[in-house]
Amino acid sequence: MTITEEEPPVVVAAPPALEAVDIVKSFDGVHALKGVRLSVQPGEIHALLGENGAGKSTLIKIVTGLYSPDSGEIRRGGETVEFANVRAAHQAGVVALYQELSIVPTISVAENVLLGEQLPSRAGIVKGRALRRRAGEQLARLQQKIPLRKLAGDLSPVQQTMVAVARALATDARVLILDEPTASLTETEIREVFAVLRALREEGVAIVYVSHRLEEVFELCDRLTIMRNGETIVTKNVADTTIDEVISTMVGRSADSLYPERGTATKDVVLTVEHLNGRRVKDVSFQAYAGEVLGIGGLAGSGRSELLRILAGAQGHKGGTITVGGVPLRRRSAVGRMLDSGVALVPEERRSQGVLLGTSIQDNIALANLGSVSRAGVVSGRQIAQMAKRGMADLQIKARSPKQTVGELSGGNQQKVVLAKMLARRPKVLLMDEPTRGIDVGTKAEIYRLIRELAAQGTAVIAVSSELPELIGMSDRILIMHEGSISGEVAAEGADDEILLSYAYGRSE
Amino acid sequence: MTTQKESTTTTAVVVQQSKAAGRLLISGGTVVALILLILFFFLMRPDTFLSFVNVRNILYQISILAIIAGAQTIVMVLGDFDLSVGATSSLAGAVTSVLLLQENGLGVALLAGLAVGLIVGLVNGILIAYLKMSAFVATLATMTSVIGLGYLVTGGTTVFGMPAEFNQLGQGRFLNIPLPVYFAVAISVLIWAGLRFTTVGRRWYAIGGNVEVARLSGVNVRFARLLAFTLAGIISAIGGILLAARLGSAAAEQGGDNTLFSVAAVFLGMTVIRSGAANLVGTMIGVAIIGVMSNGLNILGVNAYVQQVVTGLIIIAAVTLSSLKTRET
Repeated sequence: MTITEEEPPVVVAAPPALEAVDIVKSFDGVHALKGVRLSVQPGEIHALLGENGAGKSTLIKIVTGLYSPDSGEIRRGGETVEFANVRAAHQAGVVALYQELSIVPTISVAENVLLGEQLPSRAGIVKGRALRRRAGEQLARLQQKIPLRKLAGDLSPVQQTMVAVARALATDARVLILDEPTASLTETEIREVFAVLRALREEGVAIVYVSHRLEEVFELCDRLTIMRNGETIVTKNVADTTIDEVISTMVGRSADSLYPERGTATKDVVLTVEHLNGRRVKDVSFQAYAGEVLGIGGLAGSGRSELLRILAGAQGHKGGTITVGGVPLRRRSAVGRMLDSGVALVPEERRSQGVLLGTSIQDNIALANLGSVSRAGVVSGRQIAQMAKRGMADLQIKARSPKQTVGELSGGNQQKVVLAKMLARRPKVLLMDEPTRGIDVGTKAEIYRLIRELAAQGTAVIAVSSELPELIGMSDRILIMHEGSISGEVAAEGADDEILLSYAYGRSE
Repeated sequence: MTTQKESTTTTAVVVQQSKAAGRLLISGGTVVALILLILFFFLMRPDTFLSFVNVRNILYQISILAIIAGAQTIVMVLGDFDLSVGATSSLAGAVTSVLLLQENGLGVALLAGLAVGLIVGLVNGILIAYLKMSAFVATLATMTSVIGLGYLVTGGTTVFGMPAEFNQLGQGRFLNIPLPVYFAVAISVLIWAGLRFTTVGRRWYAIGGNVEVARLSGVNVRFARLLAFTLAGIISAIGGILLAARLGSAAAEQGGDNTLFSVAAVFLGMTVIRSGAANLVGTMIGVAIIGVMSNGLNILGVNAYVQQVVTGLIIIAAVTLSSLKTRET
């Protein structure tokens, strides 16, 4: 996938600080990267953009030595290198800072800055003054005045970011990769970080900047590279493009025939949410109707999953009301009580939240239905088997017997077990977080059909998805979240990716 | 385990069979070890080891450990453990004994002993389930305090001279078998059935399998955990009361050994089943291994300290087996 249709946007004087050439990487036979190219000049801030799953993080892990590529090469300052591990990449001057800031909260600022370095010492005793002087020099480069003896965990988020950057510089990083560095920062703090990054650019450091916040990218970066489905689509000067163009390039093609016909939603309100607040959820209000599939979109971290978890009782909320079938729910909810009220959740992480991998299909299904397969606290093996057989037949779960261990099933069949478990509760509202993640295309289509059948029977299905075609294809109506709030609502019929993404990036039009 | 209906291709069947054989070797290992131990001691002392009197002796010796290991099994099903079971049992025995010596009725004394177990169990449960302490820290702390309380209650001495009707509970026989054996069997059957056939048992196993899955399936994890520790406390108290009756005396730390032996027995038992979860049948096999070993080495005249060393080695062997199995699945 070369991009030679246009002139190379930057006049190449020095060899690139970091170059990835035709990188291919697959996991379990699935291609995560299919010949990716990335070239970053010294003294450049280069944005790496793409939707979730486009391959950005895999690429970063490869250029920092965490993964080794199946084929292709990495060049550092024009010379081909192979990083055996992260340490080797560090020594070559390539350092990545991840979202979860890589500082050690329980040791001092100075020690954090020099972490992994040879500390100034005599006979194994660390020389505190020399340590602080060297750490102070690094922070001074960033124009930061942070008390060196303070515990890093007591710093503000922006100071922690600075300490992490200072540490990267202490290892003489010439290529600095930042993954969503501003995610937890305020507007003024972001300015501060930008100033530091610009200063580093002047020093000739090459910076790769990964962010979902396109305004920031357009303000800060010199060039950008867009990835989609494991391929690099284009590299451009930021000055030569627009946010809208970037969004449509990130998205690519759209839906096909995976999705069943839409149904007809009724006007019966099943779920009413008013002014709901909680962790990552800000003042959310909406209604869901019997018979409809309500999609919820938004970027990762926009509060979609948290909204579902609050509705399912898996996470507390600070204010607002939830009304199911006309009955307002008590403020402090638990999953069991929400299930009793008719709200069931198929969680995001199937293997860690959905199924007991070492347990049989029938016992997994019974777990959420112990009340209906027992009498006076004693479970009936016969009823459990019956319930499981019914669920397996209804959802066409492919397994040898209801007693087969769930861990032995395919991802799609595991997901059906989670569904069977929750459907046996006959929910009025079914919440699904990423209903088809990690599932093959055939089973995906089956799940969409099931969702549609459930809706036809009067259930309100609320489904979160990161995949825009899926969101549009399976839903009747779509709510989009941005930083905890609902930033837009669109009818799925005729919706296009660009509208959804504009809302997801908080760009109201 | 996987011998019902196999898939159609022959290769798959062969693979499954050889896999099943491997599993049998690993999972059967603990049972095989018990049989080999019995065989070994029988061959060494053919006249005494498997005699009625000695077998009865072994059963008598392990009955208290069996009860306390049953309590330990319950909390280990949830993936926790309880270091205070031994101390709790001692305190319960001591409280019951002291109350009897102060001429209280048997019923009152027994209820007070059980109440000790209930209270310690509740405290453990609240600390772990509601205050989110680790089971290690919480039960280590309660163990320490409970031992102290034991010394306070007994005045730092061994108390004895309880009425015969009480001692009878631990020393009496029915059909020539000591009563504690019946108690141990009855309690074990109850725990086994509870773990297997009740909704609570299902919830406990689900929590042990994956807390988050259990919680998202509507299980009230905190309450289930509180219940498990409370029950463990009460059952430990029963064990301790029977121990005091059997010995005819009570002291602050007389049940202390049972803590680590109970954990060892449960670990041994976890190697018996495929899923590697704590289970009562397995625990009882573990208890039997510990009992047979200690009795056999005694008969051979091996030093008691050596027995202690060997028990430690057995725990290591069991845990190694356990981890081998988890790696396999």
